Amino acid sequence: MVKTTRVRAGLAILAVVSLALGACSKDEEPAKNASGPIKIGISLPLTGDFSEPGKGIKEGYELWAETVNASGGMLGRQVELIFRDDASDPNRVVSDYESLITQDKVNLVFGPFSSRLVIPAAQVAEDNTMLFVEPAGAAKEVFTQGFKYLFYAAPAVANDHYNYLAEYILALPADQRPKTAAYASLDDPFAKGTAYGLRDKLAAGGIKTVADEVYPPENTDFAAIAARIASKKPEIFVGGTQFEDSVGMLRALQELKVQPKLVAFSTGPTLPEFPEAVKGASEGVLSPVGWALNATYPTNKEFVEAHKKKFGKEPSEDQANGFTVGQVVAAAVKAVGCADPTKDCQTKLAEHIRGGKFDTVVGPLSFDDNGRPEQAHMIQQYIKGKVEIVLPKSSAVQTAELLFPKPAW
Amino acid sequence: MPSGSLLLQGLALGVLTGGLYALLSSGLSLYFGVMRVVMVAHPAFLFLAAYLTYSLHNKAGLDPLLTILVTVPLFFAAGVAIQRLLIARLAAETMAMMSVLLTFAMALVIEGTLGAVYTGSFRSINPEYATKSLDLFGTQLPYDRLIGFGMAALTLAALFVLLKVTRFGRSLRATIQHPQAARLVGIKTERVTGLGFGVGLATAAVGGAVLAIITPFFPAAHWAWIGKLMAIIVVGGLGSVQGAAIAALLLGVVESLVLVTVDATWATMMFYIFLFLTLLVRPQGFFGGRLAQRF
Repeated sequence: MVKTTRVRAGLAILAVVSLALGACSKDEEPAKNASGPIKIGISLPLTGDFSEPGKGIKEGYELWAETVNASGGMLGRQVELIFRDDASDPNRVVSDYESLITQDKVNLVFGPFSSRLVIPAAQVAEDNTMLFVEPAGAAKEVFTQGFKYLFYAAPAVANDHYNYLAEYILALPADQRPKTAAYASLDDPFAKGTAYGLRDKLAAGGIKTVADEVYPPENTDFAAIAARIASKKPEIFVGGTQFEDSVGMLRALQELKVQPKLVAFSTGPTLPEFPEAVKGASEGVLSPVGWALNATYPTNKEFVEAHKKKFGKEPSEDQANGFTVGQVVAAAVKAVGCADPTKDCQTKLAEHIRGGKFDTVVGPLSFDDNGRPEQAHMIQQYIKGKVEIVLPKSSAVQTAELLFPKPAW
Repeated sequence: MPSGSLLLQGLALGVLTGGLYALLSSGLSLYFGVMRVVMVAHPAFLFLAAYLTYSLHNKAGLDPLLTILVTVPLFFAAGVAIQRLLIARLAAETMAMMSVLLTFAMALVIEGTLGAVYTGSFRSINPEYATKSLDLFGTQLPYDRLIGFGMAALTLAALFVLLKVTRFGRSLRATIQHPQAARLVGIKTERVTGLGFGVGLATAAVGGAVLAIITPFFPAAHWAWIGKLMAIIVVGGLGSVQGAAIAALLLGVVESLVLVTVDATWATMMFYIFLFLTLLVRPQGFFGGRLAQRF
């Protein structure tokens, strides 16, 4: 008994001392801040619902930091990334950014994944007047909060993802053009935004909406939703999806023997696991995509090579989006010449991004007053088991003609 | 108004899904019935089993349904070990509450381990029959669901025989009904309790194999199931395996019919509406008989 008490007392003293030491070292930090590394604070969903894309974005950020540091850093200072895991939880993401800004006293912050986490996180950045460039908050609600420091570093907001596809469908000759369309979307601002963007354009062009379903994220059963859609025999099916639900939906439609002429899903088919998860049924499936492996934009080839070298695999859109955030911020820091967490510097950086045009791996980017990117997404399609870029037509990125109608699954 | 054929299709899918729910929730009833343990980690074990099925299918080439020959004994042993080494140490008075904490921790450990070993990527098993369906008078019955229903029926039948006919089953039921009295007539209740927990976890091995062929999965997938399965066992009558099975079928059909007639948001809400109704009207559950625990 005596022994354990002594051990406990010892541990307690140790704990107190180490706490005190920790506090001291924190106090000294601001003094070193101007010359030490440029610290960038990031919270990402590394566990929970968004862990998969969260990890992808993290790799993109890490690769960007390594690339920058290899070429001498920003403003002659090395870049250091500080990651937090918000477990896909909107409350955690808020406390993460608060502590990164007030306790770690980071110089800059980068955004998390998905609109659901971006909105609360951007509010923290806004309150602390910190520039907030983010890789994955494309829902229209992100841009209607009056944020002044937020920029979405990708080609297009959710509602515009399918623009090229809408143009293509409406330009088909009347005898080939489908007449009915069904939509099923996850109740998530981004996923819904993509599907509704296309729905509204097609409906305005005279294509009748015969089914329009929304399901909550915890939905596990797609068979009955598919049954509703099957009963309408739509010629177009559009899924406002993430991954799990795109596979669930596709399998359920297949089981109910629905054969639309054109099928599009928002996110699932852009992930490498998709073809395996649905076996042969991926053929002809369309998807909007913000980045392409073989796009000829400057720095894209180098990005792909460096990614293969560091992680031993080809990057996906998530890694590209993370990398793009770094590219935009780095260009702004270089042009403005500061990276301090002060209101003055952060405002200058935001002003610069609002007015500028930036070369990135997803193409040249520019932003409107609310931080919306002003470009458009490409459309990809599985043709003979390979991912091809089919729209925009006769552009430098197109690799194949769109396959329509799609083969039966 | 939805057409008759759509309603029929919804009903058919509802019965099949209900069977799946019955299989997935049967273990939960056992744990609660035998030892008042609220096993929050049960869905996490389901997905652990799904991942093991995935590995055995991909690495050893086993048919997903045959993998249960390996996973069922494994899970049974793990269940006995967990009960004897961890849950048995909890104080009896606070068992229901503390078991939530303990098993919540287990769920997090399983999720973290799966994430570390298999990464967060989605995995799926796609046997030939996964996307085919049986056409019965214009109603489509997907084979993967039919198999799930069949496995559920077999497992529940086996469980029923085990509980009603065998000597072990009689001691287990005696332990559920009155542990002190069971001890007085010479039943080794600690041993029986451990084995009961093992049987509960073994059902998770079967459930995981079925889930693996029906849906793609990732380490955090279990959270979506906890609420549904808990609602089922409360509606059915806590601690009653038959009650949970009936409630599972009922809720599966209700969910599916609401899905085809209203929408998915209301369908998901049905589980909680039934949970509230049960607590208001009949807190001991609807199908549990007189021995079901009041919630």
